[in-house]
Amino acid sequence: MPGNLYERPSTDDVAETELTDGDILDAMQHIPGYLDITTEDFRTIYHLAHRHAVERMFGHVKVANLMRLEVEALQPDMSLVEAAKILARSGSTGLPVVDSQGCVIGMLTESDFLRRLKVATFLELLLNLLDDTFEFSHRCHETPVREAMVAPVVTVTKDAGFGATMAAFHQHGGRSMPVVSSDGRLLGLILRKDFHAAYSLDKLL
Amino acid sequence: MKWPEYLLKMRGTTRGSPPRVSTSEIVWSWVGAFLGIMAVAWVDQLFFSGYDLSLMIGSFGASAVLVYGAVRSPLAQPRNLVGGHMLSALVGVICWKLFHPYPWLAEAMAVATAIALMHATRTLHPPGGATALIAVIGSPEIHNLGFYYVLMPATIGPLILLAVAVLVNNVPSSRRYPEIWF
Repeated sequence: MPGNLYERPSTDDVAETELTDGDILDAMQHIPGYLDITTEDFRTIYHLAHRHAVERMFGHVKVANLMRLEVEALQPDMSLVEAAKILARSGSTGLPVVDSQGCVIGMLTESDFLRRLKVATFLELLLNLLDDTFEFSHRCHETPVREAMVAPVVTVTKDAGFGATMAAFHQHGGRSMPVVSSDGRLLGLILRKDFHAAYSLDKLL
Repeated sequence: MKWPEYLLKMRGTTRGSPPRVSTSEIVWSWVGAFLGIMAVAWVDQLFFSGYDLSLMIGSFGASAVLVYGAVRSPLAQPRNLVGGHMLSALVGVICWKLFHPYPWLAEAMAVATAIALMHATRTLHPPGGATALIAVIGSPEIHNLGFYYVLMPATIGPLILLAVAVLVNNVPSSRRYPEIWF
């Protein structure tokens, strides 16, 4: 399915440390007495127990309950100036780009603008603008959203649980991520900070 | 199942077995086994020397490995130790009575059924397989015991081993026994 690189059914893939035989043997040496379990069996138990614990702690919340609705999506043919206005009005730092069917095809964020303007931060841009010799070279009026957006984009489905969302945010790195239906249509936007708040992850991270 | 997959499984999954235990573990395993087997031998000599029965059977040596050498193992817990021997002995005696004209059948049936029954009752104890087999291959004295074999040696012996295990395995700070009683 295009635009949806990460679709996993449930919570089965929270990043967890892969234990080597050395790790397990070292742990075994801290426990006096003979343990009649192989390292492979221990690893299997560890993975299954981990999955069960994640399901127990985080299984009840779905992305659909956390996402922000009524997201004004961008069109691929809009000019960047138009997109910037919508972005500014939305109060969010990034918005999804959808095609005529409503399917998510990309994501346009403030950093995409910065990258095209060849600066790293807004402060740098501000300083450049104060500098008289700086020439505002990029023509935002003529460039369509399609050329600036990030595509394909990492999305989550509305039924994604903790694991899939966590993994998607891990892979994606941005502040927000489009939530899509099973056929790839935009439903809403999940914000990293909302996700963190829901699970009190700020305390952990 | 596909052939390459089937053959690949034979390579095993893990390199290296569990680490060697500490020297004190080795010493305590030795002490426990020495006292446990000695206790069974003493009870045998003191109370049963005049009779046609023996309290000592080979499978207790195997039980000693578990209850004194692998204290934490689920296979070494009281339910398994006593239950495994009792049920296996029962299976062994029944198999001998039913199938003794065909030794191969009685032997195979006894061990296989003992394992299945121990699994089903959560009493799996590897030496139980030996207890079931001994009931069939026996000595004539063991055959003559009939169902008494289940009580003596197959229940009293494990109970003595268990008593010694509870007393000895809890002496060192690094050990405790049992993990689960039942």
